Formats: sequence, structure tokens, C-alpha cells
Amino acid sequence: MYNRLCILLIEPSFLIREGLKTMLSNLGNPYRLEEIDTPLDDLEKLINRLHPTLIMINPLLIPKMITLPRDPESNFNPIYIGLISNGVSTKTKSKFDNLLNLDGDRHELFKTMEKVMQQLGTSQTETDNYTLSERELSILKLVALGNTNNEIADRLFISTHTVMTHRKNITRKLGIKTVSGLTVYAILNQHIKMEEIQGS
Amino acid sequence: MRINKDMKMAEVIHLNHHLLPVLNRFDIHLGFGERSVETVCRDHALNIDFFLEIVNTFHDPSYFPVRHLQSFKASMLIDYLQKTHAYYLDFKIPEIRQNIRQITQEGSLQNSHKKLLEDFFDSYQHELTTHINKEEQRVYPYVISLENTLDNPASTVKELQEIGRYSILEYEEDHDDVEAKLFDLKNIIIKYLPTSKNNKLLNVILHDIFELERDLNNHGHIEDLILVPIVENMEKALRARLNKLSANV
Repeated sequence: MYNRLCILLIEPSFLIREGLKTMLSNLGNPYRLEEIDTPLDDLEKLINRLHPTLIMINPLLIPKMITLPRDPESNFNPIYIGLISNGVSTKTKSKFDNLLNLDGDRHELFKTMEKVMQQLGTSQTETDNYTLSERELSILKLVALGNTNNEIADRLFISTHTVMTHRKNITRKLGIKTVSGLTVYAILNQHIKMEEIQGS
Repeated sequence: MRINKDMKMAEVIHLNHHLLPVLNRFDIHLGFGERSVETVCRDHALNIDFFLEIVNTFHDPSYFPVRHLQSFKASMLIDYLQKTHAYYLDFKIPEIRQNIRQITQEGSLQNSHKKLLEDFFDSYQHELTTHINKEEQRVYPYVISLENTLDNPASTVKELQEIGRYSILEYEEDHDDVEAKLFDLKNIIIKYLPTSKNNKLLNVILHDIFELERDLNNHGHIEDLILVPIVENMEKALRARLNKLSANV
């Protein structure tokens, strides 16, 4: 098990906070989150209490003249992510380790967050292999083509139970539960062709 | 934050704008002025406790309604639930469908991928419709007729026995597959659908799916946490009345 991520989110907008939370959940790492929506005089105290690994902060809520608390010697070195929008000054930007552009599109946002997760070493792709194995891939194809668990078991000379275990793992890795969802996945990734299903 | 009767209705929307479609189901529409939740409910002849339970379960999924269950008529709830059904089938689903249809024009999706998305959404729509029809044609009529039979002091033993043959628990059915399909659709769009840079419409679709999912979860919540307990209470009352009648014979 990896350590549970502790995130401090300092942002006045409820919608942006909610949006960020949704995005974080979609990244799939378990996390604990503390939300602050007002400027803080005592940022340092709060940080010392919570010891967050990740601090997402709107520059507007950082009191003037303050430098962001860091203490590499005590092993406390959080990653600061500035929640910025277009037109924020370079000076402001330079305070942060990473920047999340709130005006950016979905891909850009996710890419930044994934990069951060990798820096933290909590990325699941490191602790668990999320690509499908050869066996899982062949089972995925057969499922997508409409075969039942029994049919797949007969075809591959394995037990139905084993097929079910593989299917559970496929669902866990892809985040797709239904047969029709798996079919769409298989076609999008060119594991099977659309004509193959229509023919069967 | 709990929504209460003294808040201004406008404040409620500022607090959580996702409640707008919920208010519409009560036939409450924008333009609240300074009126409080209580006043608006009175103007619309709504049971204020009922209104508050519904908006609070929607506003906070961890909120558990308990206090006023006895005072609600099942028919009140069913009226609300039917309106949410209509919202899904007549508005939200067609809206998402329409956006999926348009998506190739925007250039964010290849034709073959659009077809996949369309077919997948159509099969979801079909399943959701089937599920909703079952509720409307079987479950709700049972509950209404149970309530009517109980409310009528002149109901005969035969009528009571007849309706007593059913139980809400028999109708309980898992929504598993319908939910799973929507879950898959989210992940397909979020993770696997190759898109070009211009994917504003796809974002809109994704946003709508999240909204729909949230609404559906709340719908299921209301059925499980409010409707089912009310019906179970009625079924208990029915059995008590039958026992009393047979003791008198």
C-alpha cells in the first residue's frame, strides 16, 4: 500500500474546488483533502498541523510578502501547485513547483496532475501494472466479441473461475464494467474490428 | 450546510445551483425575489418538510432523512419521482443524445468513433427507459393503490387482503447494469476516446453525464431512504388492520 495522499486545497471558488475534487477522484489515487476558502494569516501553522504532501493554492489567497513555507531539512517538502488562470505574472508563477492552468482543457489538466502524482511516487502505474497482460487481452477480445464465460473457458482450456478472475482484473485496470463498454474499448484500441462483431 | 425554511430561495441556488432542476420538479421557477423557502413553498401549496427533505438529500448525499417520514404521503413522493423520470427521458437524455449527434461537426471525433459512442449511448438509453417503465407501470401503481386502500375506512377485508399479497421488497431490483453503463461511458470518454484539441462539446457531454449520474444517484437514494420506509410502514399498518378485523370476527 502507498501512503494516503494529504492534500491542502486553498481556493475561494466552490465550483473550482468541486471540479478539482472530481478530477482528483478520477486520477484514482486515494487521498485526504482539507479545503480552505478564505485567505489565511497563519498558513504556516496550518501546514505544520496537517503536513500535507500536496498544496494546491490560489495565489490570491497567499498573504502578501510571505514565502511559501518549506523545510527540506525536517523532511517536510510539500509540492506547491499554483491554481492560476491566464494572465498571471511570471513572478507569481515562480513561487510554485507546478502550475495548474484553470483555463486549460481537460487533457492539459490531467497531464499536469499525473505529472505531479508521479513526482509524489504515489502514481498507481508505478505500484501496480495497469496495462493488460497477454492473457487478459485475449480474454478481453473474446468478451468483446460476445462470448460467455463458459465459452471462453472452453476455448482457452481454463476454468470458468479463472476467466472470472481475469475479467475482474480487466475491469479494475480499465475502469469498465459492462460487456458493451469492453467492446467499445476493444474497438477504440483496435484489438477487434467493428465488422467482426457485426458478423457474429 | 443544511438548507432550512428561513433561508431565501435565492440563497439556496447560490449555495448549490445543481438544485435548479429539483425546484422545477416542484413547479418552482426562477424569479424568487427576496422570498424565503417557507414563503415560496406556501405560495406553491407545498409541504415544507417534504420539500426540505428532498432538497437536503440532493444537496448533501450523506444527509439521512428521518424526522418527518410519517407525515409524507407516498403519492407526494411518487409525483416527485415521476417528474424526475420525465426530466431524464424528455430532457436530459435527449440533450446528451443531441450533443453526441453533433459532435462530428465540431471535428473533435472521427465518424467511426462517433458511431461507437452513439450506439453505446443508445443501449444505455434503452436500458434506462426499460427500468423506468417498470417502476412506473408496476411499482408506483402498487404503492398508490396501497395508500388508497389504507386511507379508505370502508375498505373491505377482501380488498385489504388482495393488496396485502404484494410487498415493496419484491419490486426491489438492482439498478446495477444501468449504473454500470453510465460509469463505463464516463471512463470511455475520460480515458479512451481519442479526441482532437477542439473538444468543447465532448466536455459538455461529460459534464452532462456527471450531472445525470448525480441526479440518478439522488433518485435512487430517495427511493431507498424515503419511499421504501414509508411503504413498509403502510404494509405494517395493513397487517395490523387485517389482524384487528379477523380478531373482531
